[in-house]
Amino acid sequence: MGVTCVCQVPVAEGKSVQQTVDILHKKLEQLGAVKQGNFCVDCETYQSTVNAGGQPSKLLYVMHNSEFPLSCLALFEGGPCLVADTNFDVLMVKLKTHFQNAKGHKVECRGSRYRYCDFLIKVGTVTMSSSVRGISVEVEYCPCVVPGDCWNLMKEFMLSFLGNNVPELPTVFAAKPEGLFAPADSVDTMTQYLELFNKLRKLQITGSNVH
Amino acid sequence: MADAVTVGVNLDAFSHAISGIQALRSSVTRVFESLKDGMKNCEIDLTDREKKNCELDQIEREKKNCELEQIERQKKFITEFQDNLQAVNRDLNELERLSGLVGRPSESHPLHNSGLLSLDPVQDKTPLYSQLLQAYKWSNKLQYHAGLASSLLNQQSLKRSANQLGPSAKRRPKVQPSTLVLPLQYVDDVIARIGRMFPDMTIELFRPNGTSAVLLVTLGKVLKAIVVMRSLFIDRTVVRGFNENVYTKDGKLDIWTKSQYQVFQKVTDHATTALLHYQLPQMPDVVVRSFMTWLRSYIKLFQSSCQRCGHFLQDGLPPTWRDFRTLEAFHDTCRM
Repeated sequence: MGVTCVCQVPVAEGKSVQQTVDILHKKLEQLGAVKQGNFCVDCETYQSTVNAGGQPSKLLYVMHNSEFPLSCLALFEGGPCLVADTNFDVLMVKLKTHFQNAKGHKVECRGSRYRYCDFLIKVGTVTMSSSVRGISVEVEYCPCVVPGDCWNLMKEFMLSFLGNNVPELPTVFAAKPEGLFAPADSVDTMTQYLELFNKLRKLQITGSNVH
Repeated sequence: MADAVTVGVNLDAFSHAISGIQALRSSVTRVFESLKDGMKNCEIDLTDREKKNCELDQIEREKKNCELEQIERQKKFITEFQDNLQAVNRDLNELERLSGLVGRPSESHPLHNSGLLSLDPVQDKTPLYSQLLQAYKWSNKLQYHAGLASSLLNQQSLKRSANQLGPSAKRRPKVQPSTLVLPLQYVDDVIARIGRMFPDMTIELFRPNGTSAVLLVTLGKVLKAIVVMRSLFIDRTVVRGFNENVYTKDGKLDIWTKSQYQVFQKVTDHATTALLHYQLPQMPDVVVRSFMTWLRSYIKLFQSSCQRCGHFLQDGLPPTWRDFRTLEAFHDTCRM
């Protein structure tokens, strides 16, 4: 588990989402990347039904990642996070009285997984209740564990197939103490996915307001 | 041109000399043949003589005739023998004269007489001369390398008998420590001193199989290197990522498995090259220190760009090569 960066790629002008994804695939294959199966990241939203002291109810996100098929992540909005076994989902059903599943808010990201040297690249389309919201690109540099060390290197790599859409250093890393050391679990990656999902969700709302 | 002429003359003299040898041989053969036959071949003449003297009385002249025959035979044999010997002498003189004309083979050839093999016109069938040259070259090289090796081996007291020299043998390690048999404490001290030199590098020392040390070098949060030592000589090294396993399932150091990342496989290759580069049999501690100094330059493995092309990546790999003197970072293909 190395340094991971998740970013959103805007749909190319005059192209559909699928076409933009295909262009990205083609660029990766031209670089020499090899396709290695598919991936899937999903996120379900739960709303706390207990209102403690008139505070706005907190949201709980339960996420799965095909890269860690036996794990399940529970992230509190702006709070602690928890890595659990997959039967955590069953527990959530039992906690129905405390956390309500916001059915329409399930977000999924599916796509292909590519490997290029020590890089792992995942290009996916983000869907929310069966409507496509955007394109995500996850780049992982496996041999390095310090984001600050290899960020320039990753930027150069992303520049080679994302062009102008290279993101800045993810905020998850910028806020880390102790030399930006990424622990060897998936929390940092999932936090980035969650940020991306929330961003896309809001984007859709503003978009629908315009229309 | 001159060469061709002299060769021509030589060849001419050669052919004459060869025929001279043949003549000598045949005359010598004649000598021996006549010697082998002895006086028997003179009998034909004697039978002629008998016919002439047929009228003489058989009985009376029997004795006289016999004596006469004997004398005649001897005379004839001697004259024939003399003739033959003279012929041999004549042929021998002729041959000596001719051999003077042939002259000596040129001494200037580096391979002396065997150099004449190069004159063999049928090179394709018997490439003896080229094979000879090759063998000569090899034997020269072998002698040179053997000389080097023997001078190097003489510096190491591998002989067991060296320990039986008495008090002088005890003093010896202090004056010039034999590099192959060093006290464990000394090795530990050297490693500990090197460890103190580099604060961003932690060196753990293990002795899993008796006296030979295995070092686990952790360089910052970049890499882990396993260095297998034999006394103070570095035998082998494997470099793995910081997040990779360095222990086997049963808790022992895993000194064999290579890294799953291409970057560290490449760094392992370069580290092996460095092992071969830093060699100083007289001062093994300097070698270990130089190697560790070189290895430490990988602390910026992912941070430094190539000194030649200025890029971070080439074929998906960062600059994995470090110059042995300047420790500058280069891509594997940019370092030439």
